[in-house]
Amino acid sequence: MIVNGQSWNGQIPVQETLLEFLRNRLGLTGTKRSCESEICGACTVLVESQAVSSCNYLAYEAHGKSVLSIEGLSVGDQLDPLQEAFIRNMGFQCGFCTPGQLMMAKALLLDNPSPTREQIVEGMNGNICRCGAYPAITASILEVAGLTAKK
Amino acid sequence: MLRPFRVLEPSTAGEAAAELGRLGERAKVYAGGAELLLLLRHKLVQADYLVNIKRIGALDKITWDGAILRIGATVTHHRLEKEPLVQKYLPMFAHAESQVANLRVRNQGTLGGNLCFNDPHSDPGPALLVYEASVKLAGASEERLTTLDDFFVDMYATTLRPDEVLTEVQVPPLPAGFSGAYARVHRFQRPTVAVAAAVKIENGRLDNVRLAVGCVGPKPQRLQELEAKIRGISLKDAQRVISQSGPYFMKLLRPVDDLLGSADYKLYMTRTLLARALEEAPNGDRGAKSAKGD
Repeated sequence: MIVNGQSWNGQIPVQETLLEFLRNRLGLTGTKRSCESEICGACTVLVESQAVSSCNYLAYEAHGKSVLSIEGLSVGDQLDPLQEAFIRNMGFQCGFCTPGQLMMAKALLLDNPSPTREQIVEGMNGNICRCGAYPAITASILEVAGLTAKK
Repeated sequence: MLRPFRVLEPSTAGEAAAELGRLGERAKVYAGGAELLLLLRHKLVQADYLVNIKRIGALDKITWDGAILRIGATVTHHRLEKEPLVQKYLPMFAHAESQVANLRVRNQGTLGGNLCFNDPHSDPGPALLVYEASVKLAGASEERLTTLDDFFVDMYATTLRPDEVLTEVQVPPLPAGFSGAYARVHRFQRPTVAVAAAVKIENGRLDNVRLAVGCVGPKPQRLQELEAKIRGISLKDAQRVISQSGPYFMKLLRPVDDLLGSADYKLYMTRTLLARALEEAPNGDRGAKSAKGD
């Protein structure tokens, strides 16, 4: 398994979820445990560029695949454009849902680099923000989509 | 934490069925896991063995044979919403698939798993009933084909035997001249009420019509009696008949109060959404605009 660009080899019990694997085995606690029902999106990570709920995904299934969690989104000290846009626009308040929001947004932009506002709202509908930062989250993603479109 | 279990990875559906037969209640079929892993976590289901059918290569194919679209059991919802063959031959179904929960669930959840769970609050069932889909069920040594209508028995119950695996969903396109619409209201990322309609209009009248409703009671239902009643009349008259069919819906759909809404609300929305879907269906296959919840 390649986690955030680094290869990991070892044995994992089949019942271990990807969330447990990332948090407990690798100490990557940016991925949050919340609803455990695939509704809230706080545990979103990418497996082979596809967004999954890591709370409901068996870690052994990621064998031979690449996993990207929030810790792997920046490259060294260079933040991902999405992270910078979230900071500029205050796309969060308490921050608990933010890693999941960012990973879902990353998956959306990998799939479609220049989504419309409607496509963003539709695509992000499975990521809940109890602080209600939705307008700023949407604005952040739109901003990055615009930057990409200009390039 | 999930209670420990073992995973078996058979390479054919026959082998999977044989394992299920051997292990009985202790084994569960594991496809996407979208629902199974949730139920295991919440201890609503127990399993000592998961029989992973994702390694069975033949089950993740979508093929068009000139008359029927064959969808393998482990094809995910996301593939169905994006697949050009589905958009071309079953556009209303592609739209229904795009409405399933959220992108993460659609990336993981499979059509076969969805139909076998027969969760009452689900999108694919009602849409596929309107297409008159069938499902192929494989045992250790033989296969059988059954209509989806017969397959759904009750809440979380189907005619799938404990030693069988659903391998393929066979869906014919709507007959010539038909077009369809799918409409729903939803909460908590599940449909509260979902309706599917297909109509063929001639000279301003409903020459032919198919209707299905899901989520109101224990299982998705075709509305054959109502279809017969509105065949041959105008859209306006059909909508009037629907608005006056409360007792029929009450008896057929067996509405229940649940987290997503009261029985009364669901019956009310059934009539509203059927009227809306009938109006939208002639304008194409994209599906009616859905009301937005959270």
